[in-house]
Parts: sequence; structure tokens; C-alpha cells
Amino acid sequence: MHEYSMTTMIVEAVLEEARRHGAEKVLEVELAIGEFTFLNPEQVEFWYKVLSERESLLKGSKLKIEMRKGSVRCLNCGYEGNITLLDDPAYHVIVPTLLCPECGGTVKIVSGRECTIKRIKLLGR
Amino acid sequence: MNPRIKDVVKAEEGEIYDVELEADILESNRRIAEENRSLLRTYNVTAVDVMGPTGTGKTTLIEGMIRLLKGRFRIAVLKGDLTTTIDAETIIRHGVEAVPINTGKECHLDANLVRKALQKLRLEDLDLIFIENVGNLICPAEFPLGSEKRVVIVSVTEGPYTIVKHPFIFMDADVIVINKIDLAEVMGVDVDKLRADAEKINPRAKVVPTNCRSGEGVEEVVKALGLM
Repeated sequence: MHEYSMTTMIVEAVLEEARRHGAEKVLEVELAIGEFTFLNPEQVEFWYKVLSERESLLKGSKLKIEMRKGSVRCLNCGYEGNITLLDDPAYHVIVPTLLCPECGGTVKIVSGRECTIKRIKLLGR
Repeated sequence: MNPRIKDVVKAEEGEIYDVELEADILESNRRIAEENRSLLRTYNVTAVDVMGPTGTGKTTLIEGMIRLLKGRFRIAVLKGDLTTTIDAETIIRHGVEAVPINTGKECHLDANLVRKALQKLRLEDLDLIFIENVGNLICPAEFPLGSEKRVVIVSVTEGPYTIVKHPFIFMDADVIVINKIDLAEVMGVDVDKLRADAEKINPRAKVVPTNCRSGEGVEEVVKALGLM
């Protein structure tokens, strides 16, 4: 939904880092997107292509996106792992729930809400 | 310099090197949200998020809650919209302060906009702030603002599948409101089914059916928020 503004922030952060290192060029950016964000990797890629073309430091650089699974923790029994998905035949969709798969208590999302620039590959000047 | 620290390694011309960044772009918003939270706590102000799609009744719900709570709390409203101050003008008729936040093109409020809006208020003269987000069931879930409680409101006029189609925003809710129940029959929407969907996704949240225009159910929302 807000891939444009998010990608703008990614581009700015990468540019800042590249300038700080006095790099000639950015070759590659590695990004990790959490399962529970609302970021569609294809749209992030699209905007990265558009925005990086405008910056000589970034022009032609590659964006690699890794989708990271999120995890939940039960407030009752301490279960840690994947979120429970209910396969609801009434909707033909899979609906996530905060119900704990172990004890029926309520879980809390502990990871999967990140959009992290993991690493950038630079060409030295 | 300490001899155990070796010379700085610099990239040579034409050399390729990696920089480990581990910078979470969303983290900066969460950090500011935490700052907002502690600022509000310092002044003993409770902030309540109100999130939901366009036209669902967010402003009408806030008006109803203000009517019930005006006597016991000093209230202000932060009113997010892409443009216009129409809703803020509606709100001030109830004798409370309103800060319109126009996001321009953005589909959600973020913690920084809320921080700027809070600076326009005298927090020492307030007890309760409602933060009405931009009409949207997706993006606001990504950007915590620093509030204490979160209300997500939908209405039967959005159809029978609104909740299952947007599960993630409901996971953050303390109270889930199903509005316009007076129109359920005309719309052919089963309120109990919507309630069951909400309870399935977030068993911790309290689900309250309302007709915000008549005021039906609004008191229950206020009670579920622990404000009454």
C-alpha cells in the first residue's frame, strides 16, 4: 500500500550510507521484509527501479529481497513459532488467528514486522 | 591510539565491499511511537486510536464517545485525513479541541505526524485524546502511533467479508466495533457472522455492535476501553 514512501526511505538510507563510505557506486542492496508487513515485494522492486534510476550512485544497482517469516509467542503457555492459520472453507481463504495452537490462549506477534536493509554492496572510489 | 586497534581498512579504488547495515526502516516510526507513549504517560493522558475504512463511522463514533465522556475528561481529537478540515469542524462543535492532520497523499498517520500534532496541544490540560486515522484498513496497522488503546471499526455497509479480508489490523485492536447494525438487514449482512470472524482472528479483543448515529452501543465501547 505504501511501497512508494517506504522505498523512498530505503533509497535515502542507502544513499546516506554510500556517501558516508565515499563509494563510487552502489552495486547491490539486500532487503528483508517481514511476513506481517503490508509490503508487496514486487511493488518495492518496481519503485526501487524507478527511484534508483534517478540517482547516479544507485543507477543500475540490484535489489535483492528476502521474505522473512514472522513469529508469535503465547502469553499463556509460552509457545513460540508460526502464527496459526485457519483454513476456512466458507471463504476459500486462509485466515490468521491470534489463537495459540498449543493451549488456546492468545498469542502476540513478536517478529515479522520489519523492513530491514541487511547489507549493501559498494564499489570503492 | 591503542596499539590493539589496527589501521582503518579503506576500500581501494575499484574494490567491491559489503556494508552490514541491519537498519529497519520501520523501526524509526516505532521509536517515535514509544516517545509519544512516554510523553502522554508523563502528562497522564490516555490516547485511543480509532481506525477503520472510509465512511464506516469513525468520526460519528468519536462524537458519541465525546458526548458520554465530556463531563469527566478533558478531551482532544487528532483528526487524520488526506485533505480538508471538515471532520475537525464537526468535532469542535462538541466543545473539545481538534488538531487536523492532513497527510497529503499518504494512506496512514505515522508517529512523527502525531508527535507534531501533540505539540499543538497543552497536554497538562487534557486527560484523553482520540486519534482518528485516515480511512483505510491496511496501512495504519503498520504504523503504531504511541496510543494506549486501539479501536478498529467496520460497518455492515462494507459487506460481509471486511474482517476476514483485512485480518492484520484486527490483531492490534483492543475493541472491534461493528457499526450500522440498523442497516444489516437491508444490506443482507449477518452481524453475528462478522462478530464471529472478529473473535476468531483476535480472541482478546472485545467486539461491540453499534449504531453510532443513534448512539446504540457507544456506551459499551467506552466501557470496553475502560473509560467508564
